[in-house]
Amino acid sequence: MSDQDLVVATVRDILSGFEPFTLTPERPWDAGLWSALADAGLTGVGLPEEAGGSGGELADAVAVVATLAQGSAAVPVAEQLLVAGPALLAAGLDLPSPETPMTIALADAVTVHPVDDGDGPGRFTLTGTATDVAWAGVASSVVVLAPAPAGLDGAFLGLIDASGLAATDAANLAGEPRGSLVLDDVQALGAVLTDAQAAEVRARYALARAVQLAAALDQVMSWTVQYVGEREQFGRALAKFQAIQMGLAEMAGEVTAVAALTDAAVQALDRGENVVLAAAAAKVRAGAAVELVARLAHQFHGAIGFTQEHKLHHLTRRLWSWRDEAGSELHWSRVLGSGLLAEGPELWPTLTRVV
Amino acid sequence: MTNSLTLAPAPRSEAAEQVRGEVREFLAAELAAGTFQTGVDTWLSGVDPAFSKKLGDRGWLGMTWPKEYGGHERSAMERYAVSEELLAAGAPVAGHWIADRQSGPNLLQYGTEAQRRAILPRIAAGECFFVIGMSEPDSGSDLASIRTRAVRNGSGDWVVNGAKIWTSNAHHAHYGIVLVRTSPGDPANKHAGLSQLLVDLSLPGIAINPIRILDGGHHFNEVVFEDVVVPGDMLLGEEGRGWHQVTAELAFERSGPERFLSTYPVVAEFARRVGKSSDPAALATLGRLSARLLALRQMSLRIAAALDRGELPNIPAALVKDVGTMFEGDVIEEVRRVIDVTPSLDSPDPLARALAEAQLHAPGFTLRGGTNEILKGIVARGLGLR
Ligand SMILES: Cc1cc2nc3c(=O)[nH]c(=O)nc-3n(C[C@H](O)[C@H](O)[C@H](O)COP(=O)(O)OP(=O)(O)OC[C@H]3O[C@@H](n4cnc5c(N)ncnc54)[C@H](O)[C@@H]3O)c2cc1C
Repeated sequence: MSDQDLVVATVRDILSGFEPFTLTPERPWDAGLWSALADAGLTGVGLPEEAGGSGGELADAVAVVATLAQGSAAVPVAEQLLVAGPALLAAGLDLPSPETPMTIALADAVTVHPVDDGDGPGRFTLTGTATDVAWAGVASSVVVLAPAPAGLDGAFLGLIDASGLAATDAANLAGEPRGSLVLDDVQALGAVLTDAQAAEVRARYALARAVQLAAALDQVMSWTVQYVGEREQFGRALAKFQAIQMGLAEMAGEVTAVAALTDAAVQALDRGENVVLAAAAAKVRAGAAVELVARLAHQFHGAIGFTQEHKLHHLTRRLWSWRDEAGSELHWSRVLGSGLLAEGPELWPTLTRVV
Repeated sequence: MTNSLTLAPAPRSEAAEQVRGEVREFLAAELAAGTFQTGVDTWLSGVDPAFSKKLGDRGWLGMTWPKEYGGHERSAMERYAVSEELLAAGAPVAGHWIADRQSGPNLLQYGTEAQRRAILPRIAAGECFFVIGMSEPDSGSDLASIRTRAVRNGSGDWVVNGAKIWTSNAHHAHYGIVLVRTSPGDPANKHAGLSQLLVDLSLPGIAINPIRILDGGHHFNEVVFEDVVVPGDMLLGEEGRGWHQVTAELAFERSGPERFLSTYPVVAEFARRVGKSSDPAALATLGRLSARLLALRQMSLRIAAALDRGELPNIPAALVKDVGTMFEGDVIEEVRRVIDVTPSLDSPDPLARALAEAQLHAPGFTLRGGTNEILKGIVARGLGLR
């Protein structure tokens, strides 16, 4: 067994004790699952031990995130392991304990002021509303990426304690919390990042969603393959009908394309390359696969898949949401398009360097 | 991935990046000297023996083959980079394409020592072109139903009768690998009794008749065999194993970058246009097309790496061809949705011209090398559905 196989087996084992459920404002996340994962050290995977994490490679963290995505796990692990944690470390800031949930807020409308009270640098106050915050109200700390304080270049990245903050009740199509946080002179420990570093944080967030999308697309496809093999109509399994076979072959094309590109982008990140364009491409490609895979999965499951009793919706609703989060598909396709042309109108040389 | 179509990631190759740079320099110089003009789908339509010879001289044909057969013992990754650069530039590669991609590896695997020594060095030199003689007027998707037959005469030679069709570039080629029936069809096992023959296309009794495609171009042909005597030692591989050999070729035939780059020159022209306008809708379209292209490259590279490892990834190769050829066609639609341009073969605007060529070639993409319906059937089998 490779390290990642072991990680996957451990996460699956824990997941087996926690059935996915329909999220509501009263029950917006799976606190029990989080505790079980935290107890096993899985909420610190890929974050260095010296910083309080559990150690391990990026690939291990990706394996945790992917497996949880396949299990419709309602916990902010992708945000913590792949985005907020690494962003804090890259900014030279301390991690809160990985046992408490942390998320990331892309807060363009929040203004940041340095605090100069003689207590040393790195202290700021934040004011404004951070919108569309994944796991708002659930995460006890939030890494905020905001415009740099007036007069400074670059961007601000800081950590706030969100335990005392109220969040609005908004949710994505899957019921995952995506509310706003109103910040009124909230204290933060932070640092000023270059524009390139800030772009990297956004790219990591997009790539984290691509990893989740890739895993969920793959899972939806396996469920569908399994279902059409079992369900019989007209005296034979649905799988024996050519129309069904064609549809699943098309799904396989989408799922395989997403997996290949997302893997390649993760490997580029691991090598320490600038992954803005690779992440953009992975996010756009994964988002583009959602339509066909989710549509055909529902079609081939018939009416049963349209019900809340059936598991299919736990993932298809997430797919429909995730493709537009961490920067919409339109946003990232423009980033990719203009990024590829940034060095001139000749596309090919840049294209062959992206991953 | 939980499905069976996964392939391990391709290794990074410094050597591939090195040769990529060399090919780029070469192509830039050739374009500047006017020896070729960028075209669409040039691996079907761009036959230029002088250009093929230049590639052979530089060691860019037969790249992965053993040196003793004129090859260069380089990796599939290096070969991939060369193929990709040539296609992206829309260079005239149709002369040698089939020989280098498919017939050479086929000979390497199944040919006799004499066949290999006689032919492989000439392919690697860019001097010997091949055709694929599979399809027949009544046998397309149902390839095993072919009727062209070969029977041994008294001196052990093969006498071939029948007709092949859609034979790309037969009018420029020296040899064909022709699928024939060497024993009568067995309804219980229609894959039995087929063999491959290595046929010199200048033999008496062979007629090559042009068939024009939508834009008027002459790229494919009907090839008729009338009592053609093929020397007995020109059997390729084993008698009766033709079906097995043909299917083994397919991973080479279906997975390369030519299965998603046929219309790349349209994308390149489109990018030049978008770069000037910065129109947000066009930028987004460029981003979406690029994301699809990047995913296809990763899929195709993984197959090249698998071939390097000696695997025969036929099912993933079918998948790449299905997804890739859909992309080639979609390029046309995506571009025309965001740019106001009328496709025209004789427009001075390179985008209008590329779009016109692409449109008129597009119906072929999802047919040649196995139709997308057949490919999806193969993928469905890989998924355990049939
Ligand atoms: C540009 C180009 C170059 C080519 N070059 C060569 C060449 O060099 N050498 C060569 O041998 N051949 C060549 N071909 C031929 C090509 O391989 C055939 O066109 C292809 O195999 C399809 O056969 P067909 O045209 O007879 O279509 P048919 O087999 O008659 O199919 C017609 C339609 O029916 C569908 N269909 C058929 N059977 C099934 C099924 N069981 N289930 C679902 N749908 C089905 C097909 O997918 C297709 O959509 C070339 C073709 C093109 C377009």
